[in-house]
Amino acid sequence: MKNVLGNKKAIALFVLPGLLLYTIIVMLPVIWSVYYSVYEGTPGLKWNFVGLANYERLFHDKNFHNALIVNLKYIAIVMIGQVGLGLLLALFFRFWLTKFKNVVRTLVFFPVVLPTVAVGQLFVKIYEIQPNYGLLNSILSNIGLQHLVQPWIGQSSTALGALSAMDIWVAMGFYSVIFYGALLDIPGEIIEAAKIDGCNAFNLFRRVLSPLLKPITITCMIFSFTGTVKMFESALALTKGGPGSATKSLSMFMYSVSFTYGKVGYGSVIAVFIFLLCVVGSRLINLFDRKEKA
Amino acid sequence: MKRRLLAVILAAVMVMAMVSGCGNKAENAGANSGNKTEDTSKDTDTAKTGDSETGDAQPAKIIKILSIWAEDKDNGKLITDLTKKYIAEVNPNFKYEFELVSSDNLKQKIATLVASDDLPDVFVYESGKPIVDLIENDKLVNISKALEELGVSDMMDEGAVSLLKTLSGTDDLYDLPLGMNVEGFWYNKALFEQAGVEVPTTWEDFEAVCAKLQEAGIQPLTAGGADKWPLTRLVNSYVVRSMGGDAMKKAADGTAKYTDDGYVAAAQKLQDLAAKGYFGEGITTVDQNTAGNMLLSGKAAIFYNGSWFTEALTADTNPAGEDGIGFFNIPVVDESISPITEYSMNCGNILALAQDKYDEGTAGWLKYMVQNLGNEAMTQFGAVKGYKYDVAGDLSSYSKIVADELGKVTKATTWYEAGMNSETSTVAQDYVQTLINGDMTAKEYMQFIQDAYDGSQY
Repeated sequence: MKNVLGNKKAIALFVLPGLLLYTIIVMLPVIWSVYYSVYEGTPGLKWNFVGLANYERLFHDKNFHNALIVNLKYIAIVMIGQVGLGLLLALFFRFWLTKFKNVVRTLVFFPVVLPTVAVGQLFVKIYEIQPNYGLLNSILSNIGLQHLVQPWIGQSSTALGALSAMDIWVAMGFYSVIFYGALLDIPGEIIEAAKIDGCNAFNLFRRVLSPLLKPITITCMIFSFTGTVKMFESALALTKGGPGSATKSLSMFMYSVSFTYGKVGYGSVIAVFIFLLCVVGSRLINLFDRKEKA
Repeated sequence: MKRRLLAVILAAVMVMAMVSGCGNKAENAGANSGNKTEDTSKDTDTAKTGDSETGDAQPAKIIKILSIWAEDKDNGKLITDLTKKYIAEVNPNFKYEFELVSSDNLKQKIATLVASDDLPDVFVYESGKPIVDLIENDKLVNISKALEELGVSDMMDEGAVSLLKTLSGTDDLYDLPLGMNVEGFWYNKALFEQAGVEVPTTWEDFEAVCAKLQEAGIQPLTAGGADKWPLTRLVNSYVVRSMGGDAMKKAADGTAKYTDDGYVAAAQKLQDLAAKGYFGEGITTVDQNTAGNMLLSGKAAIFYNGSWFTEALTADTNPAGEDGIGFFNIPVVDESISPITEYSMNCGNILALAQDKYDEGTAGWLKYMVQNLGNEAMTQFGAVKGYKYDVAGDLSSYSKIVADELGKVTKATTWYEAGMNSETSTVAQDYVQTLINGDMTAKEYMQFIQDAYDGSQY
């Protein structure tokens, strides 16, 4: 076996089928998009070569800037929320929760398996203000916080926050299960030893657990990042990108440019931008890992 | 050596598996298309036998119909019922395939089909700007010419024809209407009575009515703010009444700017109505269906919608009953600019025919449709679709209201986005929510639209 795996040609042969498939399914469309991005119009209707004009347009397009800012805000809030709360929940499962472990874990994980559209509809009802107060507004008004009752998804100031809260609620169970698994892998002796050495809970987490959890944290961050860059269906289900363009993400903008405005060329430029954003973002998160090795 | 051989063989097996996997797919696809052709040949076979049996030499044809209505609903039912009748009465060799697409995805679907040069024979689409692109690229059948050749031009309702021609800006007709709708305000009679207000005819009266309703503790207005278009319709209402029916068209042509005072004033009107609390809280979260139900159940007094709203009104579930809801046209600002008999109208979604698939078989079907659509729609739904009819339909009280209003029309105007391209209309619709929330000024809103318009010109 060693001989086989030590042989470069054999490795190449083993890798080739998968690589070929990957290239056809993943790389080819990316290259295709880049090729499309120097044209304007819709293939089949109007289709002219325009060189780099589309790229230039991107820099001046305030709708694009708006979508980018919305998307970056969303990535920041949701990523920290999902991974952070996931970690907190995992610690809670591991160290404090004694009874009903499985029931609670199942309940927290449950939103992950719900279809996005259903979750969107659920939260539309929770945030509702007209014709009847939804869950959130009725609780607020019943505990005497009438001044806080507001159209949560109907105004620019709160819509993105409301959307982020929904997406954090959906995914935190997923990350908590991953972290919980990682915590179970940490030998009890290490934790015991730390406690004997006089670690309080905070120091235990800071000095012992977090370094051991680092690889998993980075994995979770990358998961969460790639999920949030693609922000599309949840925003569509909850707010349709509104009000105005307060929750319109890059992918939504790309979709409307390509398919509603019929500017496939310009849409491809945005697609290329999203692709680069994914690559750069994933690299940045991986840098945390690098430092450790150096 | 042996091992190396093994590795090579293994790798080769993997590659083979992959290739054959793809090959399988291709084979299957081939098999499928093979099936299809087999089917059609079978069809034509049976058709031929049908031929010899009936003895009429009608052309065999299979048409594809792309619709946004299901086969048992609304216009979808109308089209399929008539097609079935056509097969039974005229052409036994005719077959149809029915495909359903959601109205949200219609434009994208057509764009994709155009790009792959595979438009269905007959498809539902949107009048105005969307079909202009298709007309310019020679994708659509010239309906005027086709109907003339078939000798059924006189079956079309002149009003509908001129409206559609205006919308596409062409001398000929390129689409078939599937409705004749007037738009305006529906109001809850019980609530009007409760507040002691009369139906307003001028815009001043309208604002006074809203104020009085509010004093009486009734929410004066509701609208499907989540769906965006119901809000732009309200801006449009004031534009038409204060600047004339061609004002939006002028801006779309570039002869006027969206940022001109009149348009800004109209946007300001909508913002003011909202600022006074007439729409209640969070109107941008209410969809058009919910808003309609609020009117019916007496939670709001006035609601803008088209005559298609009669579907909800005639439903047994309407809590307002058979006479609880009334209609009034958009109140007048200046009679000399736009009189009360000028209505905002549209033909709803339209039917278009693909030029490259149009042949004798489709022509026969088209002729039959145009001849019978008017009567069929009247007998089945009590509705006017833009075709001549000579049967008396059984009209519900609400359909009567619409028929009466249709009778009063002396001039038709179009809706807000009719002349806008998709980029401009998207911006106009997105930011109307920001406008009504008071997060941007009327001037800024119109500036946004103008920018989108300028940006989409190249």
